[in-house]
Amino acid sequence: MSPSRFCIFEEPLPYPEAVSLQGELVSARLADQIPDTFLLLQHPPVITLGRRGRKNFLLADDETLRKQGVEVHISTRGGDVTYHGPGQWVLYPILKLGSNEMGAHGYLHALESVALQTAGDFGIEAFRKEGKAGAWCEQGKFSAIGFKFTRWVTSHGLSLNVKPNLGFFDLIVGCGLVGEQVSSFEKVLGEQNCPEMDAVAEAMRKAVGEVFQRELIDIAPRMLGKPVSSV
Amino acid sequence: MQVPEDLKYTESHEWVRNEDGLCRVGITEFAQSQLADLTFVDLPEVGASVSSGDEIAVVESVKAASDVYAPISGEIVSINDELSDAPEKINEDSFGEGWLFVIRPSDAGELDGLLDADAYRGLLPEE
Repeated sequence: MSPSRFCIFEEPLPYPEAVSLQGELVSARLADQIPDTFLLLQHPPVITLGRRGRKNFLLADDETLRKQGVEVHISTRGGDVTYHGPGQWVLYPILKLGSNEMGAHGYLHALESVALQTAGDFGIEAFRKEGKAGAWCEQGKFSAIGFKFTRWVTSHGLSLNVKPNLGFFDLIVGCGLVGEQVSSFEKVLGEQNCPEMDAVAEAMRKAVGEVFQRELIDIAPRMLGKPVSSV
Repeated sequence: MQVPEDLKYTESHEWVRNEDGLCRVGITEFAQSQLADLTFVDLPEVGASVSSGDEIAVVESVKAASDVYAPISGEIVSINDELSDAPEKINEDSFGEGWLFVIRPSDAGELDGLLDADAYRGLLPEE
């Protein structure tokens, strides 16, 4: 298998730009112009609603959201409402799963494994919850998952709370899970012991390589449109 | 994996049944098994005109959303309303009660360009 590309964004990427970038990459991946590609980035504060996104999971009115600088977008991914913002990594794999590989169950399981393994690297005991997508620790859910298949090419993916302002989650009922606590590495480990974003990115990169069994090549965002041979 | 002989197929895992000139469309047993338990379906409007390859419907399982494409061009003449309350019908009976919509083809010749059961079976993983 050709190596997969791994691209870490240094700067927060606004949600709509991430959506159009993923659209371009999905088309390129479908046409076999690029190899499988993983994006790892942070968004400026944004609430996204899944396609069946129900506004009743949005607890704040437009005025409150505007004052707090939070945008709201409808997303084409699966799943319900969620929050993204600084201090949270989002992983967007653009993978051609093909007929011989995993379906939605296997892919969901793999994304969860990335979150669990990353948490484990920092000494956090994390687990799955039967019948729910995502990753939990004792203090609550720290990783949310929602993705899309376009002719079996994946987009959207997973978010992992390192040290976001968890107050923003009060604006929503996360993933439609009423009464669920939201957590983060910082909440579990304390401010002093919370790892830096870079260290978590490195751990996620390692977990991706192991879980998806890929050789990863690091590329800069500006190289994303290029085939891997020109990296 | 069931692949009925009397249907036509697309590479994106839709099936088409020619019913006296109208084409009933759904997703294959393989597609539903890959998506797992479906929880939500978004269907096109009756009367909409569609071109082959257009994304015209969405099926969604717990966390995965997947597009459904128009296998042929034409007009949507009916949709399976029952799916909005019971999307699991697609999982239970993907070639029957889990149908998605019916297209009146604008060019019946397009049907010949679709895959037959043998060709579609060739796309599936070996069991």
